[in-house]
Amino acid sequence: MKRFILLLTAAMLLTAGSLLIVRAAKAQSVPMTEVHIQRIRSNCIDAQSTLNQLHKSDGLLRVNRGQLYESISTKLMAPLNSRITLNKLDGATLVSVTATYENQLEDFRLKYQSYEEAMSRTLKLNCQNQPVAFYDSVGETREKRKLVHDSTVVLQTTIQKYKDEFEVFAKTVQEKTQ
Amino acid sequence: MTHEDLLAEGHSLSRWAQHRFMLLVGATILISLFLVGVALALYASSGTAQLDLSRPGYESVRKQAVRSDTFNGYPSSGAIDKSALDEFRKLYDKQAQQATSVDSFGGAAMSDQTLSIEALPEEQSVAQ
Repeated sequence: MKRFILLLTAAMLLTAGSLLIVRAAKAQSVPMTEVHIQRIRSNCIDAQSTLNQLHKSDGLLRVNRGQLYESISTKLMAPLNSRITLNKLDGATLVSVTATYENQLEDFRLKYQSYEEAMSRTLKLNCQNQPVAFYDSVGETREKRKLVHDSTVVLQTTIQKYKDEFEVFAKTVQEKTQ
Repeated sequence: MTHEDLLAEGHSLSRWAQHRFMLLVGATILISLFLVGVALALYASSGTAQLDLSRPGYESVRKQAVRSDTFNGYPSSGAIDKSALDEFRKLYDKQAQQATSVDSFGGAAMSDQTLSIEALPEEQSVAQ
């Protein structure tokens, strides 16, 4: 048992070490030149102003998109599922898609929160004193914004999937009533 | 009870008992500060802060927020027949079209080129 724990610990340490090495190598793959750093330093005030505007418009977008995504779940999917159940019809697939959609919506909320926190950190940086940290922080924020974008694409796919399943359900109901 | 009796009773009270009103005020302030701290921590950690357009700096976009109560939704009770299905289809298509028509949080807005902080090709070749 002790030997197993030792082996497991060694394996975990090796994995963590190799991950750190890969990460360090990745970070150093494109070294920054002094000219590039100077370029960041001279343009970063404008960049921060642009990011500040983006931060505000993204806040608005989050509120409007969030309300829209939420209304699809609470005001359309859930009432239809409930109505199907009350009528003793089989809507299991629609319920399953709704559950997936709810999870994806929660994921969207969490990813936006993470992105917003990263953006706030970037905007707080003194970019003229810390141009490299600013550049790295912009990169991190960009990655997090991409994750938010990806989660909206996933939500849109599920919205379409629910529609497709609804059409299958509607066809079945109409065939039964004819 | 004379004035002297009241003074004598006051002197006979302990130091804490003499200042109990000030203690009450102090304790109330401390409890309020603690509860405000808890509320602010929840406000920040729950993600509510990100949705709060009443924060300073959001004045310009605040009015553009869409009111959520304008859409009534689909009734959760009633028969499932052709007209009910058509009604749902109409409502769902409208909302789905709004949700899928805009490419939200696209990558171009935050690119190095947009922010003018990209490494120019000659800088990259120097670095290599």
